[in-house]
Amino acid sequence: MNIGWYLAVSTLIFSIGAAGVLTRRNPLVILLCLELMLNAANVALIAFARMHGNGEGQIFAIVVMVVAACEVCIGLGVVVALYRRRLPIDVDELRELQG
Amino acid sequence: MTPKAPIIDWAGLSPLVALLGGAVIVLLVGLLRPRFVREVIVPLLALATFATAAGLGIWQWGEQISLISGALRLDQLAIALMWIICATGAAAVLLSWRAVAPREAAHGEYYALLLTSAAGMLVLVAAQNLVTLFAGLELLSIPLYVLCATEMRRETSLESGLKYLIIGSVGSATFVYGLAFLYGATGSTDFAGIDRALNSSSLVSDPLLLTGIALSVVGLGFKASIAPFHQWTPDVYEGAPTPITAFMAVATKAAAFGAFLRLFDGALLNAQADWGPALAALAAITIVVGNVGALGQTSLKRLMAWSSVAQAGYLLAGVVVATKLGLQATVFYLAVYLFMNIAAFAVIIIRERQTPLGDDIAAFAGLGTTAPLPAAVMTVAMLSLAGIPATAGFIGKFYVIEAAIDGNYAWLGIVIVIGSMLSLAYYLRVVAAMWMLEAPEAPVSTVTGRPALAGGDLDAPAPGAGIEVYAVAAVFGVATLFFGIVPSPLFDLAVKVGSSLTSLF
Amino acid sequence: MTLHLSILLWLPAAAGLLGLFAGRAARWVTLAGALLALAFSIALIADFDTSAKGLQYVTDQTWIAQLGIHYKLGVDGLNLFLLVLTTLLFAASVLWSGLDRVERPGQFFFWLGLAETAVLGALLAQDLALFVVFFDLMLIPFFFLTGSWGGPGRVPAVLKLVIYTLVGSLLMLTAAIATAVLAPGQGTTFVLSELAHRTLGTGSQEWIFLCFAAAFLVKMPAFPLHGWMPDGYRAMPMPVLAVFSGVLSKVAAYGFLRIALPLFPQAAAHYQELLLLIALATILYGSVLAFTTTNTRLILGYSSMAQLGFITLGIFALRPEGAQGAVIQAVNHGLVVAPAFFICALLAARAGGSEDLRDMGGIAARAPVLAALFLIVALANLAMPGSSNFVGEFLILLGVFNAKIVISIVAFTGVVLASVYTLRLFIRSMHNRVGPNVVSRDITVSDGLVLVPLVAVILAFALYPQLALHKGEATITRSIQPAAQAAAQPQIAATP
Repeated sequence: MNIGWYLAVSTLIFSIGAAGVLTRRNPLVILLCLELMLNAANVALIAFARMHGNGEGQIFAIVVMVVAACEVCIGLGVVVALYRRRLPIDVDELRELQG
Repeated sequence: MTPKAPIIDWAGLSPLVALLGGAVIVLLVGLLRPRFVREVIVPLLALATFATAAGLGIWQWGEQISLISGALRLDQLAIALMWIICATGAAAVLLSWRAVAPREAAHGEYYALLLTSAAGMLVLVAAQNLVTLFAGLELLSIPLYVLCATEMRRETSLESGLKYLIIGSVGSATFVYGLAFLYGATGSTDFAGIDRALNSSSLVSDPLLLTGIALSVVGLGFKASIAPFHQWTPDVYEGAPTPITAFMAVATKAAAFGAFLRLFDGALLNAQADWGPALAALAAITIVVGNVGALGQTSLKRLMAWSSVAQAGYLLAGVVVATKLGLQATVFYLAVYLFMNIAAFAVIIIRERQTPLGDDIAAFAGLGTTAPLPAAVMTVAMLSLAGIPATAGFIGKFYVIEAAIDGNYAWLGIVIVIGSMLSLAYYLRVVAAMWMLEAPEAPVSTVTGRPALAGGDLDAPAPGAGIEVYAVAAVFGVATLFFGIVPSPLFDLAVKVGSSLTSLF
Repeated sequence: MTLHLSILLWLPAAAGLLGLFAGRAARWVTLAGALLALAFSIALIADFDTSAKGLQYVTDQTWIAQLGIHYKLGVDGLNLFLLVLTTLLFAASVLWSGLDRVERPGQFFFWLGLAETAVLGALLAQDLALFVVFFDLMLIPFFFLTGSWGGPGRVPAVLKLVIYTLVGSLLMLTAAIATAVLAPGQGTTFVLSELAHRTLGTGSQEWIFLCFAAAFLVKMPAFPLHGWMPDGYRAMPMPVLAVFSGVLSKVAAYGFLRIALPLFPQAAAHYQELLLLIALATILYGSVLAFTTTNTRLILGYSSMAQLGFITLGIFALRPEGAQGAVIQAVNHGLVVAPAFFICALLAARAGGSEDLRDMGGIAARAPVLAALFLIVALANLAMPGSSNFVGEFLILLGVFNAKIVISIVAFTGVVLASVYTLRLFIRSMHNRVGPNVVSRDITVSDGLVLVPLVAVILAFALYPQLALHKGEATITRSIQPAAQAAAQPQIAATP
């Protein structure tokens, strides 16, 4: 099958993720959308690995998965810390730093 | 194809092992109960780790070897940038010694995260493979997200941590997507392989390659705070604990530009016709945006953030030209940038801990009469950032402009000086505040409790600006002045670094 | 290889640095440094070999080998007298402020010493990068001196001044780097004597020349680029203003002769008329404003502008006599303007602290010595025949007359206006109806200590201007020769 279809899917996922990060206000949803962006890269990497017939892309994809997990961990940690401080869980409300 | 064990050069790998091993030791020692251990031994261990890594770098200086089957490469570029990173890290340890952040985050964890982040930077600047490049980038970023949020009782710290996390992750995701396309276009994640692929085939206008380059520029642009991907910088710099801001400002920049040099002046050199004009335009935009943004700031941390955006533009000019001179100028400027920024941040920390005004420029009014020495250091740092002669900043700018003109980007040289002109307006404002304004009515020498701006809990005693902060300010201030007058040692270093990317001429 | 010039160069800064830690004795330490530098430069004149070609007492060390930047100093006929002028005016200024008692003397005299070193460095430098370093550095001490010790409104004024003038200097930085990088030949070098052999292409010459010209014209200041001048002059402390006006503007004029004309001859010829017109506009604008304004500082400021217009005019006549006149006039003007500012301060002290001409008048009544000294300075300023200024202006106008007649005719009106505004300043302050708060009293001994030597030098120079003419002639002619040739052959200059 043509590589183009895989890329189309991955671009679609990436765009959905990017749009989500830009428009959603709940940090949890933003973290989910970040996952989408990273997984779009994974789809592309694996498709390319298949196209070139070498394993480097797959290894890359595994590394990306690990990183994605780390990022979500940290993200959730910060969100929990914010929640404990009773700060609004809404990124638009986080506007102490501005100017 | 039979799998064979990768060749690991442990001697070459030793600085990285030292940093990661140090991080583990610091983390474990931090678990011990006695207060003395946590507050003195742990930072000392962190300092020792940075010193060890830097020392191992001296030992390995001159080598140009591939480590772990070509995943990393230890050469002068990697070692020189590692020195910058280790010096920043050591300064950050000293600046954090009595700060609030490590106390709230537990000392062991705080310093271990700092060391891990530095290790990530080392991986990044030594990377020879897209996978290690990405792994290094994340290893440096993720601990920094946490470090930004370590003053957990201060809302702005948490806010800056979350902002940095979200925007940094968007950058990483974009970057990895770009790397995926680079891999797709060239069929290799290895820099040498990419270089070969670009050399042999007519990929130059391949849409996959162009997309990959564009997306990875965006991704790295987020990390290096290149306009228009810089918007997070002022917010995060202001909210993060100041020692971490200093670390981020210098070390992250050094690492990100190390990655720029590796990726663009190394792997993608043959596609320079594609990315050169685009990066040049970004550099020009960054210089203008950074300097204009800094003009109206009253918070010095925000001012330094905008100034760091502008400086990123100057640094990018050295990458754009893709010559040996450009590489040397970039490394030279990074070293200079280290001296002047750390000196400035050390003085900001001194004032932050002495006055209730935080990092507001008002905290500096009349400093020249009340405390001439910190004021002198800050003056040198500001003049150096503005590129005034007899400071290292002047020589750095000189070198970058020379590289730009030499690489047929004379207009970029003009943009750099136009940026410097704009920057005079805000740097000199700080200098004027210190020497030409009256000190506030009742000079507040000691503050009880935490600075009001920092969010207010009074349970912890106010951290004083100890001797170590003054020492950092003095050492880096003197270095700024010294290398402005006797720049030859730094030039020697830069020229040696110039030989590490062999494909440049 | 000699150390002489390095000693001269670093002596004032070293004295200033010592003064920083000397507490109350700072002024005497700095004064000793300034006087030693003065003695040193006078010894240089006495020892100067008039017949020798090229630079003397050359110090040439590699400063930054990787960039081809040298620490190269040298003296020739072009900078010899400007050096003496600099050391003389700085010594007078240090003495003056030493007698005046400033706050925080340690810092004040440190900056003053550093300023002297920077100016001397710019004059002595025989390497383009070194020149740029000192030229930019020159401004920083004045930033602090004005900002910390100046009059009301000093901070905005000094920010304006520094940013305005550094804008020019930074353009010059790029231009200087471009000069070295784009020059043909092996390797990069910034040494002026090397660069003079590596002529740039006409296209690069032109933009590089314009950058240099902008830097120099801002510093002078010349007509459209003088926006910083009124505020800056009003805010600066008087002793500082005397050296600023007397010396710094001359460094800019000197830069044209040392750098712009020898390195970019075709561009200089190409833009000759533009520069002449700017000079002419500066003369007329400065003269008219000097005639209409009532603030004594600004009268002197605008008259300096007009004088610098004359100097530029002489330089861009691109003829030997014009350039010689320009160098003499640069020295003359420095000699005149410093005592003029000092007198200005004395007048203000006698007019109840007001520097406005309308508050003065009748000061001469009981101050015959002050009046006499002022008269000498004023007559020198309006280029009375017999004064050395007359020689300078005459040579300049002669040069322009030979090059562009029309411009020289218009420039003559500047000479007339000079006598008008100078005499107006003298008459309205010293004679006329006594001002409201005027208390006429003569100068004190300590005032005389500063003023009399300066006036004596003016007189000496008036009697014996050949001294400068003779020693400078050969070098000055040589430095404008390439540009003069280019101007004489416009068809070659015009081809790209």
